[in-house]
Order: sequence, then C-alpha cells, then structure tokens
Amino acid sequence: MSPEFIIGCGLLILGTICTAWPSPRDYITRLINIEVAAFGLLLVMLSFDEMIALLTFVAVSAVSVFILVRVIGKKEAAGQ
Amino acid sequence: MIDSLVILLLTVLITLGAVATALWKGPFDKLIGLSIITAGIIPFVVMRGYLDVAIVVALIVPLSTIIILLLLGRPVR
Repeated sequence: MSPEFIIGCGLLILGTICTAWPSPRDYITRLINIEVAAFGLLLVMLSFDEMIALLTFVAVSAVSVFILVRVIGKKEAAGQ
Repeated sequence: MIDSLVILLLTVLITLGAVATALWKGPFDKLIGLSIITAGIIPFVVMRGYLDVAIVVALIVPLSTIIILLLLGRPVR
C-alpha cells in the first residue's frame, strides 16, 4: 500500500467523524470539516492514478462548496 | 533516502493540519488548518507527476476558501 492511500483513509475517517459530531453544532463547522474528508478522497484517488477523476472531483467539490455556502447564507438570513 | 524523508515530513504536515482542523473551534482557525492540509497534499500530487492536477488544486482550493470567507464575513447570529 502506498503512503497516499493510508493518509487518505485516515483523513476520510477523521473528516467523517468530525462532520458527524462537530464541536460547535454549526453549519459552517460541518462545511469546513467536509473539506477534510474531501482531501482524503483526493489522496485515495491519487494513489490509484486516476487523473480524470482527480480533475473532475476537485472542480465539482468547488462548485458544491459554492452552492452550500449560498444555501447556508439564505438559511441564516431567514432565521434572523 | 531523501524521498522517504520527504514523504514522512509531508505525512506529519497533513496529520498536523487534519488534527488542527478537527480540534480548533473558530472557523478562521479551521480555514488555516485546511490550507496546511493543502500545503501537504500538493507535493504528493507533484511527486506522482500530475502537474496539471497540481495546477487545478492550487487554483481551486483558495477559491473555495474565499467562498467560505464570504459566508463568514456576515454578522454572526
């Protein structure tokens, strides 16, 4: 096993646990902790030499962060 | 020999960034931890030889950080 695979699995587990039970129960904390798991998945894809998967995943991850930020902003504005 | 040393140091860097992102409370501290993880990941991509993927990662990850900062700039509840 390559070191990228081991580090990626560790990041996936850590990011998933921290997203499931965030320390301040807040949407922003969950959104930032999702990024840790996304980096873990990126390392796992890197260890399997999947270049197109890496490019697609990085681009789609940025778009999904943008959409989630819009949704969280609207939800916080509606909650006030 | 220097290759395994670099891999060990990058592993330490990524682990430090992940633990810091998981444990710190404030959102700004978490974003700093995310950029530490990014600094550890980009040399792994370069060592595999995917320079174009490294370009895309280095362009898009600060972009998502800026997008999250737009959310943090608003007044907190």
